[in-house]
Amino acid sequence: MQLKKKPAAIRQTLAVATASLLGGVAQNANALETSSDWEIDSALLFYAESDRIVLAEPVVRVRKDMGNDRFLTVKLVIDALTGSSANGAIPTASPQTFTTPSGNGTYTTQANEVPLDPGFRDTRGAVNADWELPLGENLTGIFGFNFSNEFDYQSVGLSATLNWETSHKMTTWTLGVGFNADTVKPVGGVPVGLTNMPVLPAIKATEGADHAKDVQDLVLGWSRVLSRRDLLQLSLGYGNESGYLSDPYKILTVVDGATGAPVADPAQRYRYEKRPRDRTRQSLLVRWSHQFENDVLRLSYRYYTDDWGVDSHTLDVRYRFELADGDYLEPHLRYYTQGAADFYHTSLIDGQSYDFASADYRLADMVTTTLGLKYGWALSDRSEFSVRAELMKQSADPSQVIGVQSQQDLVPDVDAVILQFGYTLQF
Amino acid sequence: MPDFFLYRRDEGTHSYHAGRFEAMASPCEVLIDSEDGALADKLSHIAQAEARRIEHKFSRYRDDNIIHRINHARGKPVEVDEETADLLDYAALCYDISDGMFDITSGALRRVWHFDGSDHIPSRKAVRNILRHIGWRKIRWQRPRITVPGGMEIDLGGIGKEYAVDRVLRLIGEVSPVSVLVNFGGDLAASGPRRHGRGWIVGVEDPGNIQQHPATVKLAHSREEFELLRGGIATSGDTRRFLQKDGIRYGHILDPRTGWPVPDAPHSVTVAAGTCTEAGILATLAMLHGAGAEAFLREQGVRFWCQR
Repeated sequence: MQLKKKPAAIRQTLAVATASLLGGVAQNANALETSSDWEIDSALLFYAESDRIVLAEPVVRVRKDMGNDRFLTVKLVIDALTGSSANGAIPTASPQTFTTPSGNGTYTTQANEVPLDPGFRDTRGAVNADWELPLGENLTGIFGFNFSNEFDYQSVGLSATLNWETSHKMTTWTLGVGFNADTVKPVGGVPVGLTNMPVLPAIKATEGADHAKDVQDLVLGWSRVLSRRDLLQLSLGYGNESGYLSDPYKILTVVDGATGAPVADPAQRYRYEKRPRDRTRQSLLVRWSHQFENDVLRLSYRYYTDDWGVDSHTLDVRYRFELADGDYLEPHLRYYTQGAADFYHTSLIDGQSYDFASADYRLADMVTTTLGLKYGWALSDRSEFSVRAELMKQSADPSQVIGVQSQQDLVPDVDAVILQFGYTLQF
Repeated sequence: MPDFFLYRRDEGTHSYHAGRFEAMASPCEVLIDSEDGALADKLSHIAQAEARRIEHKFSRYRDDNIIHRINHARGKPVEVDEETADLLDYAALCYDISDGMFDITSGALRRVWHFDGSDHIPSRKAVRNILRHIGWRKIRWQRPRITVPGGMEIDLGGIGKEYAVDRVLRLIGEVSPVSVLVNFGGDLAASGPRRHGRGWIVGVEDPGNIQQHPATVKLAHSREEFELLRGGIATSGDTRRFLQKDGIRYGHILDPRTGWPVPDAPHSVTVAAGTCTEAGILATLAMLHGAGAEAFLREQGVRFWCQR
């Protein structure tokens, strides 16, 4: 591929070099304009898993410069989700029938196929507002509010972030706190964890119509301009979730400990999952950006661990080729590897007792590889159109394979395609 | 004659102070959006001291500074301080990104080109000979040591004034959050919105000089004026400096790669960018693009005014 040198890169290289010379971060040349600056970002994202979920997500973000270094940002997101999702039960040699979460009907999965709950249909609306303002010399505050609603889940949150610039703006310290109060109100009520999924027309045991979930987050960040071409960012995250953290629609198959086949009695064959009511997580993120003559390389590594026993490593590489006339091409590679939660069980063994259990493959030993490509067109110096296409493969491993289960692909790979169209405009 | 003036300008409810002095062979002015006379006096003196410091340190007309030591080392390495090293790094980068058009060694061309309005065009041979003493690549620069071969010289004058404007803005910003406009002979920069939330009104005037005025004063004779909230503006070019022979006008913008004036260069180029220093480099590079000055600036996506 012939990649032409982008002329505008002279200005960008110069801006970064001048910032380094003067001991500060690059100024936005657009800041020249008067205080009526608007910036609009819009995107339409499609996410499709093979034979499973399809998601369409329009996003609109509006940022208004209110003058005196104050900015108001409002973001609206709508998620429209359809398709089917793995319900947690294992594939077996004979067809399986499940009661829907509402308790009003059933659905059947063919022999040797992964049971998918076909009733996955949901629309979520979310709004997020941020108010950014200077709090003092070199100190900026960003105060946010967010709200989202879908028919079985509601979330309200507040956040505050302080950015403090030191050493002539070469270093930025960030302190962020966030609090979210969520409500889960599953169809058919909140099932009692690890009780049996009833066979129609029986009624399931519930703990009421809804449950609360609280999420708290603390972030400490540090970023430094190392040279006119290098920026290093470090970020430590600490978070706690408490309340109802299970997935009310996920179940596990109860099997014979010797043969691995599901137990004979259909009323004893499936149980609702149950996760601990508390989760404490920590993360470390290191990000390095390097600007070559024109192109930009961004590398990041994230380590995550929580007290459910999940540890993960994420490596993310993006390389932006600057092309002629402000266009760019950006390949993206992401590699994610995760160790399973302590209570991840592909199936439950009849007669054993469990404190907690989930067969959600997202809590299993897993590797996710994402390969993507983004192309951006500069329509003018104030507007840009972009297209991003990504392929994602998730490969998870079962916690154990007993007897006849070896004849099944207990946790098949999930392939997904992501397509995003974006448009940005400043005026 | 006093070398320093401080004025108070009344402009409705938002008065500001103006400190004026002479430095770097230019009238210098600092507008301070405050009614506090003591503060304005303090900030203006900071500006004056910094302008004089930079002039003293980097002027090529002095024999007691780092530039003189570098240019008279006769091929011996000279160790330079951090600030000089930063500026040399910056100059090296400008040389790279401009494919050699921006070159701090080009001053030696003045030995053969004298822009006095006469018809004294140097011979091709004289230009060829002087070119042997020009070219950043011939200089050995390994921070913090620079080695300039005998017969060559460096001159940071092409960056100095704009750098001083940005430095002053930064120094003032460390002392007080008030909005200021620093204007050193038409190269200027503003630090942020004024108390009433608006910027400083800047007019781009014939012939490419810039004046600043309070928001309420309209300039009948300025070609264009706009509000500068933050960022820098610089101008390159001077219509009075040229040579003329056989009906051909030789402008004073010399291409350090050929040793000859750039054909069809604009009379002046004014550029607005994030800082005064960037604006200055872009304006200089645009002049060196000759007939392609406007196209070059359009590609950079900056606001500019070209006068031909």
